[in-house]
Amino acid sequence: MDHYSNYHSFSEALVGFSQAARRHGLSTGIQCTKEAVASALEGLWLDKDQFSYALCSLFAHSVEEKQLFVPIYNRYWRQRGTRINDKRDYKNKKTVKKQSVNSAVMVGTGQQDSSEETVESKTTTGSNSKETLKKTDFSKLNVIQEKQLEILSEKLVSEMSLRIKRRRKKMLHGQIDLGHSIRKNLQNGGAMIDLIRTKHKKDKYRLLVLLDVSGSMDKYSFYLLKFLWTLKHHFKQIEAFTFSTSLLRITELLQDKDLAMSLARVSQNAKHWSSGTKIGECLKEFNEQYAKRYLNGNTLTIVLSDGLDTGEPEVLAEAIEKLKLRSKKLVWLNPLKGMQGYEPIQMGMKTALPSLHHFGSAHNFDSLLSLESILINA
Amino acid sequence: MFENPKDLIPAIDELGYVIEEELATVLFLLLKLEKPLLLEGNPGVGKTQIAYILSDLMGYDLVRLQCYEGLDVNNAIYEWNYQKQLLAIKIHEGGQKSEKEKEDLIFGEDYLLKRPLLRAIDSEKRMVLLIDEIDRSDEEFEAFLLELLSDFQISIPELGTIKAIHKPIVILTSNRTRELSDALKRRCLYHWVNYPSMEKELKIIKKHIPHIETALAEQIASYVQKMRNLKLDKAPGIAETIDWAKGIAVLQREDDPIYSSLSCLLKSEHDMNVVTSELFS
Repeated sequence: MDHYSNYHSFSEALVGFSQAARRHGLSTGIQCTKEAVASALEGLWLDKDQFSYALCSLFAHSVEEKQLFVPIYNRYWRQRGTRINDKRDYKNKKTVKKQSVNSAVMVGTGQQDSSEETVESKTTTGSNSKETLKKTDFSKLNVIQEKQLEILSEKLVSEMSLRIKRRRKKMLHGQIDLGHSIRKNLQNGGAMIDLIRTKHKKDKYRLLVLLDVSGSMDKYSFYLLKFLWTLKHHFKQIEAFTFSTSLLRITELLQDKDLAMSLARVSQNAKHWSSGTKIGECLKEFNEQYAKRYLNGNTLTIVLSDGLDTGEPEVLAEAIEKLKLRSKKLVWLNPLKGMQGYEPIQMGMKTALPSLHHFGSAHNFDSLLSLESILINA
Repeated sequence: MFENPKDLIPAIDELGYVIEEELATVLFLLLKLEKPLLLEGNPGVGKTQIAYILSDLMGYDLVRLQCYEGLDVNNAIYEWNYQKQLLAIKIHEGGQKSEKEKEDLIFGEDYLLKRPLLRAIDSEKRMVLLIDEIDRSDEEFEAFLLELLSDFQISIPELGTIKAIHKPIVILTSNRTRELSDALKRRCLYHWVNYPSMEKELKIIKKHIPHIETALAEQIASYVQKMRNLKLDKAPGIAETIDWAKGIAVLQREDDPIYSSLSCLLKSEHDMNVVTSELFS
């Protein structure tokens, strides 16, 4: 049991605390322990509050770690007879609870049948909780993880958008403009001090997302919609549509700053949720009604769908080819691609594949983040 | 100078900054351990102000480096004075100096333009170095800072390593628009600056506007606390609260000074609409 009273001296107890903190997820090193001892030597250990504040500033490096630190500190230095479950206890557990799938997923709740079954899970030794969360299949998330993922996705998408903006900004600077540089440096007696670079014209950058919300996508469409909402708040030029047997433009419905409110608005309007799939006809409808307005040579089109189409393959082939011609790049992200042994042999997917620039998976948050490289190179 | 964190509280209070024991303890450690301090928190909670207060408290000069996208070594650490170097080359063109001597001359300290980080390291006196809004800088720049933050030294290829004569007191602030690297965080003490509690906000208002009536100050603090729980584009910070209180004091003879001075506090139409409908309807 981790408690300071198990040690013979104060410095030993501090080392013990440092190790306990590390076991419970804080990234503490030897330097931290050394500085903790130094701060105690400054007389801070005489005052309980000051001692805890000092250790917190040394051991916790973010506001989340601070929240983690408080119970670890209290249990180690204050209470007796309680124990925090060791992270390692969880890591190698062979079973996790998995919610079974109910086809009637409701928009705005994402709740599925509560009857639970235990299934085998992979051992995740060595990866921290964020990494595990990013790699967890959307269909296997529990309620707590859902909430955590919401917070994490907001943060990661914001970082992603920042990186993309910066990278694109850098890409605007081109080759050295020799003529301009020589003229500019005449004032320096011809010595080339200032180098002038050509500037690329900033392209108007657009993103179009078509999300499949048919019955077969129930396990994923809710999370993908949440991801879409997050994207919408970090990328200005984004258009979003849902489709199953009919097409619905949801760009404006996602504009609300409150996620729950946005989802509720989508739910009020999405009459076709969880129905059949007619990808070809929906894409055709898009090409006829919206393509002129929302597609130009700089649009990156992303289709989020499992490709399980019940319509005519010829219609899909024609529609997807038209979509490809009008977009800068056409990307298809399929949640089923994350499954082991998946082959795109269904008629819909088979028909669409030749027209795609990129075919990726969309079964977990990590796979969605791979969009970054596509967006940068678009 | 200060034997206990509690000694810092009245000293800082005298300088016009209301501080709790937790932050006082962290500042005490900053002074004793000479380790950089990373302050994170929402915009407007008074992070930058802490560096200024510390500079006043200790009587050290403050050097501020405002970070932005694209900030590089040339603007943060040092740059060679190219024009002066070129001039020196022209002057010594027909001279007796050897190539090596000329090179030593133009890459000497006289030709070095010291930017904030080098100024803080190279100063004869101890300084407070404020690296403001580090989250706005690029990740590459963060990597440049690591050497400075751990060893208080800067390497200049042409001159060698410059070690701090007096270790500066380093304060970094971040609004958390992006996550900073673990390597940087590990080198710093950490403190999250939160919005003030009702009591603290009341104290701050009274400190800045001593003649304000207690009831009015309470009303202002209470409104601001409520506003921070609303979904606003920009939650009001401490500076805005003080501006609002001052605005109300100026408009005291108007019909509804609290409502009519709201523009001191809220900076967008959306926020105005939300606050009006939630708190003033």
